[in-house]
Amino acid sequence: MDNIAKTAKSRKRWSAWLGLIPFLVFCLAFEIVPILLLLRDSLLLKDGGMTLSHYGDALAPLYLKSFINSIKLSGLTAIIGTVLGVFIGYAIYRWPNKRVQDFLVTLSDVTTNFAGAPLAFAFIIILGSNGVVTQFLLQYFHWKIYPDFSVYSFSGLTLAYVYFQLPLMVLLIIPAFAGLRKEWRESAFNLGADTLRYWLNIGIPVLSPSLIAGFTLLFANAFGAYATAYTLTGSRLSLVTLQIGFTIAGEVLHDPGIGQAMAILSLLIMGSSIVIYQIATNRARRWTRN
Amino acid sequence: MAYLDLTNISKAFNTVVAVKDFNLSIEKGQLVSFLGPSGCGKTTTLRMIAGFELPDSGTIMLNGEDISLVPPNKRGIGMVFQAYALFPNMTIRENVMFGLRMAKKPKPYIEKKVDEVLDLVRLSNTAKRYPHQLSGGQQQRIALARALAIEPRVLLLDEPLSALDAEVRVALRGEIRRIQTELGITTVYVTHDQEEALSISDRVVVMNSGLIEQIGTAQEIYRSPNTRFVATFIGTANEFHGIVTGENTVLCDDLTLTSDRIRSFINGTRVVALVRPENVQVFDSKPAGDQLNLFEGVIETLTFHGAITRLGISASGKHITADVNLTGRAMLSHHQKVWLCFQPEYCQVMSE
Amino acid sequence: MKQKPSVSQVLLILFFILYMVIPIIATYVFSVATRWDRTILPEGYSLEGYTTAAQNPYFFKTLRNSLVLSLSTVLVSLIIVVPTVYWVHVRLQSAKSLLDLLMILPFGIPGVVLALALVQVYNFQPLSRSALLLIAAEVVFTMPFMYRSVSNSLAAVDISTLTEAAQSLGADIKSVLLEVIVPSIFPGMLSGSLLVFATVFAEFTLARLIVGAGFKTFPMLLVEYTRIDGTIAAALSVISFTVAWIASMLILWVGGKGVRSTQDIVKAK
Repeated sequence: MDNIAKTAKSRKRWSAWLGLIPFLVFCLAFEIVPILLLLRDSLLLKDGGMTLSHYGDALAPLYLKSFINSIKLSGLTAIIGTVLGVFIGYAIYRWPNKRVQDFLVTLSDVTTNFAGAPLAFAFIIILGSNGVVTQFLLQYFHWKIYPDFSVYSFSGLTLAYVYFQLPLMVLLIIPAFAGLRKEWRESAFNLGADTLRYWLNIGIPVLSPSLIAGFTLLFANAFGAYATAYTLTGSRLSLVTLQIGFTIAGEVLHDPGIGQAMAILSLLIMGSSIVIYQIATNRARRWTRN
Repeated sequence: MAYLDLTNISKAFNTVVAVKDFNLSIEKGQLVSFLGPSGCGKTTTLRMIAGFELPDSGTIMLNGEDISLVPPNKRGIGMVFQAYALFPNMTIRENVMFGLRMAKKPKPYIEKKVDEVLDLVRLSNTAKRYPHQLSGGQQQRIALARALAIEPRVLLLDEPLSALDAEVRVALRGEIRRIQTELGITTVYVTHDQEEALSISDRVVVMNSGLIEQIGTAQEIYRSPNTRFVATFIGTANEFHGIVTGENTVLCDDLTLTSDRIRSFINGTRVVALVRPENVQVFDSKPAGDQLNLFEGVIETLTFHGAITRLGISASGKHITADVNLTGRAMLSHHQKVWLCFQPEYCQVMSE
Repeated sequence: MKQKPSVSQVLLILFFILYMVIPIIATYVFSVATRWDRTILPEGYSLEGYTTAAQNPYFFKTLRNSLVLSLSTVLVSLIIVVPTVYWVHVRLQSAKSLLDLLMILPFGIPGVVLALALVQVYNFQPLSRSALLLIAAEVVFTMPFMYRSVSNSLAAVDISTLTEAAQSLGADIKSVLLEVIVPSIFPGMLSGSLLVFATVFAEFTLARLIVGAGFKTFPMLLVEYTRIDGTIAAALSVISFTVAWIASMLILWVGGKGVRSTQDIVKAK
């Protein structure tokens, strides 16, 4: 009797893992293995030897520029998004009317997904050389933004990216504000602090994991973006994702190894951002869940 | 052969032993409680009876049939869970008829049966509502009705009342006992609340760390605990640690206790003598005559509990708890000198 | 004790609303404008953008393609993710952290990288540069969203206890699935499906890089028109925005408030 029960139980335990197989197979086939092969190929020469030369080429001045641009763009929009997002998020959080608050949160929820080609085009409409806002600034403020500014340039792309970065930060930071207990503020005042000291000593430190999480998420978000940049700049601006895209589409005649190396480097950058994001989020959750 | 027989049941999770050498026979129509602190194995044992866990060794026999390996949906066992577990997407009526539908009973039978059990738990008027519209106590009664609808051979309840308010708990446990007796259904009831177990059970199984400490009626468990764990888990007891010095005496520091429940301990054995507070008599002045177990002490604390007052008395360096009824006697006060006494038959001695 | 908002609050919110809303409104208006390059408001209105677009044979073709792509992705995603989430939740808790990890993974892979990897590995028929490969890629890409939705739905209902209750009442596996499990997680499945649908419908990167002209999707047509005819591009944008709008509203309606967590929002832009 013992043995039958035992084998029945161990069979049950072992067979439970079988249920996971379809999913695991799918992940391996279309996600994990291809990326691993990509990694392998990035380290191979055309005739088969192992090498790091592709990585060297990928960081040569020609392509290094695209990395610098991508990092600049991602960093800049992440900073702008974080700072503006925090202030706007706070303004929403403290808005007295709940209906308006809900509306603003919904607005953020919806607009953070309006990215890609339609968004890029929308910015062309409003900030192109004959765009609505361009006209508006010209006629009402006598401010001629062209030719110093162009929507197709780095600054134009920045404005477009901020469009979806901002609501993302807002959605992220509002729950963090909610995690700042009213009692902390009250006991701080009770102990003699004023608003500024409260924020400097308690508010911002407690918020900082969320701020870091937000920043890294925004950074990763921008770094991996493709469609918006493609639509807005075509091949005018050199970005990492665009370069990799050219490799696939066969539009560039360089060694595929370089594209692969760039892809792996992007993965490393994105990967570390996501890891930092996870750590920061867990820290934030721990502090505010007490 | 009893109706439900558990023989040598053991179960471990990885390296943690949950239940060990569990042996129990339950007669048909009895309500048996598994009582113990959390982690003692009572729920694990219940789930093995239900079929949601498989024992590592041992057998479970129901009405002569070995059900140890029978899957849970074929055991004919009704279960009431701690978390009600009513299906949120179904009305009360649909919930209650679920088991009957699974058994493919004919429609008129189902209708009649559902009305019957809803009537039994006195919630016939909720049939068209949804679980979230009912209170916790009501949901639990529906869960009971749902389990009873299939006329199970055994009814299992896993801490059914622990999620409810105290008031609802007392009322509901009476209801459960009433229904159980009326239907004569064999029942196993898991709880960590001793008051619950003692008030409704035919027999109580006290468990601790996966082992059975004692099986008996409520009175037996309370009056004659076999082990120190049982004595202290059920109710409160004054503990006197000492050595056996004679056929019925125990020396506890400089106190000599007389007991006629020493059993067969040889002199010199380290033991603990237990006396329940309600059996400690308190006198303002030294009682006349030759009293056994008579000690002098001073009242340190007085706590009013309504019907009784609990006294904390210091006697010969020991702290003794006594429960007294203050009706018809002079008031007692702090720092008052009093005399304590208890009968040898209320002094239970067991190994340390 | 409701106070009024402060001046800085009002200014910030106003700025926010304008920033978010102006591009969208401008697109809608542009799509019905005859000429709008010299003035604040359009010089005239007409629906020509839409009618011309509809006359393009590719218009309905790409719409159909995007629809097929989105629906297929939803279907495959449901089939792969839902049973897995249920299984792990009820029978294989020890695999939960593995599952969480696998579901975070797609967030760390930019669309272009996934496209590159898949195109290079599956360069043989019948998968090479095919719609099938694209569907697989989109499923990988949107897995976390479906997972999040279904998993939250599952967690909200204590599915193990419900399953045990059903079993104690004599239900077999089929009955447990159909009567207890699916109804409980249906809201999660529905909002997950809507989310996946909307995401794939608007997705450009994978579609362009994996299949390209062989299976033209609606976003690809849109991008083409941005270089040719602004009004038509705007009309297509309006359609794109509207589909996304409707999907968002439906999701909110199905799942209640704040269904989406912030992590769901990282997508290829």
